[in-house]
Amino acid sequence: MNETTVEKFRVAAQMIGAEVHSCGSGLGAANAAVRNFSTSNELSSLLQELAAGGSICASTLPGDLEAHLAGLVVSDRSTAADATLCISFAGAGIAATGSILVQLTDPAERAATALATKHAVFLRSSSIVSTLRDLSASLKAQLLGADTTYFSITTGPSRTADIERVLTIGVHGPKELHILLLEGE
Amino acid sequence: MADKRINTNINNTFLRKALKNFATAYPIARAKAFEGIDFAALRHRIAVSKLAGLKRLPELIAQFTASAEKTGAIVHFCRTPEDANRTIHGIIQSKNADFLVKSKAMTSEEIELNHYLEARGIRCLETDLGEWIIQLAGERPSHMVMPAIHKNKEEVAELFSKETGSDCPADIPFLVQKARETLRSGFLTGQVGMSGANVAMADSGAIALITNEGNARLVTTLPQTHIALIGVEKIVPSLDEALDVIEVLPKNATGQKLTSYLSFIKGPTGGDGRELHIVLLDNGRTDLAANPEFQTALQCVKCGACANVCPIYEIVGGHVFGHIYVGGIGLVLTPFFHGFDKAEEILKLCIGCRKCNEVCAAEIDIEGLIVDLRDKIRKPFGQKFMFGTMMKNRKLFHAALRAAYLAQKPFQSAGGRIRHLPMVLNRETANRSLPPIAETPFRDLMLKRPTTPTLAPKQEKVLFYSGCLADFVYPEMCTDTVESLEGLGYSVAFPQEQSCCGIPARYSGEMDAAREMAKLNIDVLLSEEADFVVTICPTCTMSITHDFVKLLADDPLYAEKAKRLAAKTLNYSELAARKIPPSPPLSKGGETAKQVVTYHDACHLKRGCGIHEEPRRVLRELANAEIKEMSDCDKCCGFGGSYSIKYPEISQEVLKNKLSNINETGVGILAVDCPGCKLQIEGGLEASGSKMRVEHTATLVRERMR
Ligand code: SF4
Ligand code: SF4
Repeated sequence: MNETTVEKFRVAAQMIGAEVHSCGSGLGAANAAVRNFSTSNELSSLLQELAAGGSICASTLPGDLEAHLAGLVVSDRSTAADATLCISFAGAGIAATGSILVQLTDPAERAATALATKHAVFLRSSSIVSTLRDLSASLKAQLLGADTTYFSITTGPSRTADIERVLTIGVHGPKELHILLLEGE
Repeated sequence: MADKRINTNINNTFLRKALKNFATAYPIARAKAFEGIDFAALRHRIAVSKLAGLKRLPELIAQFTASAEKTGAIVHFCRTPEDANRTIHGIIQSKNADFLVKSKAMTSEEIELNHYLEARGIRCLETDLGEWIIQLAGERPSHMVMPAIHKNKEEVAELFSKETGSDCPADIPFLVQKARETLRSGFLTGQVGMSGANVAMADSGAIALITNEGNARLVTTLPQTHIALIGVEKIVPSLDEALDVIEVLPKNATGQKLTSYLSFIKGPTGGDGRELHIVLLDNGRTDLAANPEFQTALQCVKCGACANVCPIYEIVGGHVFGHIYVGGIGLVLTPFFHGFDKAEEILKLCIGCRKCNEVCAAEIDIEGLIVDLRDKIRKPFGQKFMFGTMMKNRKLFHAALRAAYLAQKPFQSAGGRIRHLPMVLNRETANRSLPPIAETPFRDLMLKRPTTPTLAPKQEKVLFYSGCLADFVYPEMCTDTVESLEGLGYSVAFPQEQSCCGIPARYSGEMDAAREMAKLNIDVLLSEEADFVVTICPTCTMSITHDFVKLLADDPLYAEKAKRLAAKTLNYSELAARKIPPSPPLSKGGETAKQVVTYHDACHLKRGCGIHEEPRRVLRELANAEIKEMSDCDKCCGFGGSYSIKYPEISQEVLKNKLSNINETGVGILAVDCPGCKLQIEGGLEASGSKMRVEHTATLVRERMR
């Protein structure tokens, strides 16, 4: 994925109130030292910090990412209602709007991403596309496939402007959305 | 309702301020959201695919039902609100449940579901913040997207204090947090969850939800049973069409590029015990979809933009301007969803400015549908005589206008204008002075003119169609038109037999009378050879170029004639602009300094005829003027013909907004291309003590020639 698309994604996501954290290239594979979060340790300390002593729950993550959470105490998803931080994985990003595509077919995972105060999501920079329409082939495949499915395209934290049109963050869903951008992947 | 409600809302300062702030902020946010997107092409695509879908709606419903059932969802087709209510109640009962937790669905408001269920012992909890607020207040939404826009934070704080039993300060972040905490337990204990859907896809049986708060994901996740209540018009063939709706909706609704959550749900997910019930609501939709006259109303994607830009909604709010569905489209859908008796009053509230048409996400001619619907409602007593007998008869109508000249005399003030009318008409003149009906109408002045000389070689001949208001109230405006056009090289004649264009009849739903008046004028204007017909009233221009053609489309004799007349009819500014640059130059003496003017676009000229460049060119090139634009230059002045008499309070409030925009420019002359706008704005300026001149473009061009 070219630089400008990733950069556009970063800008758009931040503009809509998400935080984007760069995770060094090859973090998953080789723990190579690049930029902000070069090691699993640093990553887990960021996640610890976000959890601020509260409980953490996580969705099923791709194997290479699962390894990074080794040092974290991750609680059972059935207690998601009390979780401060929910960690999950986005299958794609959209540069135009700073959005992420999250699979939520499992109701427990869905509940976790919707109930937690903060939501941290891994996103591979290589999976960022320019616009929503660029995802249409893969979305269609999913919608027309045999299985039932539930997915969300999430853009920034939960928000409302229902009182006097004043934009307020975090009404029912997460108050913070952190995107853990896996660069170069 | 009517008068009392209107006045209450006009006097509700918070509501007014909230709506005005929003009306100011919305166009800016919207424009930003649409940056780089071809809105016209997008909405046209939506209109075409939606209309095609409506024409085969039963087939789409069948396809969606089959697809959704294949995913394991249970689909219920409900013909009436009663059916839908009963079905939903049945589902809840079958789960032994008594607590329904809901995210926003206008369809639920439409069938008054909460009322039905609560009467049967089932608790309903609205979790969308706006919906919860109005649920606590026991009210209806006043906007399709922002249901509680009419409530201020103090009122919300009071409602929350009462509900939670703890003292809530009027602090918005605090109140939002309070809602989060209070509603949490509702999500966790709700036994059945309910949502609507913004779009449903026939090929996959999936639905999509476009939301900001995150409550829809909770109500479709935590309870084992999810009911989605969906109007059948939301069904589109596939994801391709759905993506267009998704692209346009948040941008047009609130100026957001995309909302926080866009969720796709296909079938019940999560295994055993999980159920997805899709309740498809008809409630008149399949009939409406098959009604060629009004079917386009169902192209609507419920973005609420037509309310966002409506000058009348801005003044009175959604509780007056609509029933359950509000704004322009609310006026149109109400008779079909809720009955004509509910629509009679509200259909009259539209002033006809066509602002809604300009922003509609589905390219619906909302204003046109409103006017056509007026034909279907009961007409006020006396209206038949007014239009059917009097206005159709030119001599009788003009005699009445002449008589009015005598009747008004006692009320004229020193300057000749009318400041105070007798009691019955007094409401009308409170903030506006009225010009009197002229002693000698233009048609009589024209009789005294020497007959038109024979045409010079290549000289173009123009028939002047003045319109009643200019003829009887502003004869000098008509004279300026004739003389300025002559100065530009045209030969101008005024056919004496011309009469009212019929728009007052059409706007009052008297289509037969309107048709008769159209025929009369067509005969008059085609009987004399001419290159062009010119009008100085945009409403007349719109009437001749659009309405005559539409009204007479099925008339074997007149359909063709109407088209022929439409093809050669121009508005003054178009005709004058043809002579730019003028030869010989207009100014007799030496070049004078440019005068600075500001320009008000008449609704019917800009959006009725698509003309807004020409008047500005004419002002610059022919009237030697420099234009200092005002903000919202194309927003309605509140005149709307008889509207200002029927709803003087609303008309005056719309006018106030206009006046403040005009005054902000600080210039001395306002140019308009409409005698109605002149009447309204000049009256308002005069009543406020302003010395600003309001002139028709023709007058300013004529002055340049002197
Ligand atoms: S035409 Fe004007 S007044 Fe009528 S609904 Fe549309 S925006 Fe409102
Ligand atoms: S009529 Fe048009 S503008 Fe109004 S809500 Fe429907 S789609 Fe939006």
